[in-house]
Amino acid sequence: MSIVSESVAGSPSTQKPMLELHEIQSTVLRLRPAPYFGSHVALRVDDARAGRELLRRLTPHVDSAADWWKPASAWLSVAISYAGLEALGVPQDSLQSFPEAFRVGMAARSRELRDEGVNDPKNWEPLFGKGQIHIGLNAFSDSKEKWQRIVEMARGQYQSLSGIGVVNVQDFGAQPDDLNSLGYKDGIDQPPIEGSGVDPLPGQGRPIKAGEFILGYPGEAGVPLPMPQPDILGRNGTYVGYRKYQSRVGAFNRFLRANGSTEEERELLAAKLVGRWRSGAPLTLAPDVDNPALGADPKRNNDFNYANDTHGRQVPFGAHIRRMNPRDTQLTRLTDVNIHRVIRRGTTYGKPYDPNAFSQEDDEVPRGAIFLFISAKAMATMEFLQQEWIDEGNFIGIGSERDPIIGRQEEGAVFTIPKEPVRRRVHGIETFNVLRGGEYFFMPSISALKWVASLSG
Amino acid sequence: MAILEQTRTPDRVAEKIKKVQELYADAPEVGRVALKNGLEALKHELAAATGRESAGRIGARQGKVSELTAIVPLATGGGKRIRGLLDALEGNFRGADLVGTLHDMRFVLLDNDTKLLFCTTYDGEWDAYIDDFVTKIPNSMDILFCNCEGWPGIHSPKVKDYIVNTQHTADAWYVASPNLTVAETRRLEKVGAAVDELLDKIG
Repeated sequence: MSIVSESVAGSPSTQKPMLELHEIQSTVLRLRPAPYFGSHVALRVDDARAGRELLRRLTPHVDSAADWWKPASAWLSVAISYAGLEALGVPQDSLQSFPEAFRVGMAARSRELRDEGVNDPKNWEPLFGKGQIHIGLNAFSDSKEKWQRIVEMARGQYQSLSGIGVVNVQDFGAQPDDLNSLGYKDGIDQPPIEGSGVDPLPGQGRPIKAGEFILGYPGEAGVPLPMPQPDILGRNGTYVGYRKYQSRVGAFNRFLRANGSTEEERELLAAKLVGRWRSGAPLTLAPDVDNPALGADPKRNNDFNYANDTHGRQVPFGAHIRRMNPRDTQLTRLTDVNIHRVIRRGTTYGKPYDPNAFSQEDDEVPRGAIFLFISAKAMATMEFLQQEWIDEGNFIGIGSERDPIIGRQEEGAVFTIPKEPVRRRVHGIETFNVLRGGEYFFMPSISALKWVASLSG
Repeated sequence: MAILEQTRTPDRVAEKIKKVQELYADAPEVGRVALKNGLEALKHELAAATGRESAGRIGARQGKVSELTAIVPLATGGGKRIRGLLDALEGNFRGADLVGTLHDMRFVLLDNDTKLLFCTTYDGEWDAYIDDFVTKIPNSMDILFCNCEGWPGIHSPKVKDYIVNTQHTADAWYVASPNLTVAETRRLEKVGAAVDELLDKIG
């Protein structure tokens, strides 16, 4: 297992990293270990001085991304929401230098994010979208014991401070086999980042300019993105979109059962929805039958493009991975694929996927995914993705079809599977992952954490 | 929803008619007569109204289609340059096909070439693809719009605010096919041709 997690990041580059890795928080670049255990802790700052004291205490325990390609056993990161920056006493002119979508928060941008219907903030878990989550801690580890130790350490720091409230503690991890809540291996395709110290994996494409993901560096347009001020606060920081989804496993299994009469047909349909078999093997390289060895090999499981699949007969145009990274697919709109990528830290929570769950009660068994979408313009990118690549199909020539995995389906939704001689349209696709809440966070550099901690007033 | 509309609509139409009649009380005679004679047709039109929708930060939307109307003062020498450029383009923009979201674009030079009226009909949210223009067609954007007073350059983080500040949301706007995007129109053209080809083979 450790060999897998070691090589997933790619080989260390012969060129020195250009990024100030010792300043960037670990979670930004470090890949999820395999197996993985962790927690998302949501804290409220009732007293600015207590909040800053907490940051002072935690910062020495916050790991940087230095040598991020080497396996690490456990790490902690700290992110702050806009309400949190206010509660910590960050000066007004600094607050105003943050982008508007970040300032108003994810719930207030529901129209732009297409978070409507079942995904509407009014249906969210009450802890989200109310401005009461100020600091988000996340702990990742490759072992249960080390995870508990790091969570315990963090608890020790915040519990003794009277001005800090615990809003929520959400544990995550996916055992056995690291499969997500719908039963797939996930998190395979990450954007390659220029100057991060690692050469791209086969199939990852050319490295994308670091400024797309981390503030203070040139982006794809050749200039750095606007950065929160002062510089010490913004530089080497990034934004995190936190989205919690409940997986409706019963609905998903019912859909497969209704549209596939044999196990083989159902598994092929499941693969068509994602573009990969459950093992992670891409349909482009394994179009007819699963190839678990291919799925497990990070050097091969992402090494493909769609040059020989221009009709979508291997990976349907509407498949999840073709939407999230169209690679060389001819899109209907002038699009620069490289400016709409995000770093994803997917974390699975709750009961594991159960292939025998078919009931409506099974839809409500707590289990699903919490995604951390990380980018220097995470708010704009998430709005673009939701509007264009997730809850639409026009960009790739399939009308109003939506992402079969994370899209919100409307009555009468279909999923088209191109095929010879005629395409198959599968009816009755439902919303398989329902949004239960979300928040935007700023994940500052280590120096920025110290800067906030040292504010007065 | 349909039932709700039926019970609500007559009252609302009557209200609107009353308002229009009040507005037209001091209209020229030709207008007053026309309102009287055309009242029935106007009632139908008012009953069919579906309300305003926004294209995002600014501009109007009908279904999947949005409008952008901008009036921009031109920079010194900008009028001469842009007129010359539009002439060289023979008044056409075939190259804009590749953008894939533009239904049309209209450039009208006003007031002795000191102002530009720019109108376009496009698909989706107004700013979704501006970042793509920055990396994909920055030169085309700057060649055209550098002639506008205060154009910050397509790479400037201020460019979205600049565009918003020149825009005027349409007060009324008619779209024949609000659900047909450019991509969908092109797809339907292809489907139509394929169906004809198939029928030709059979028939």
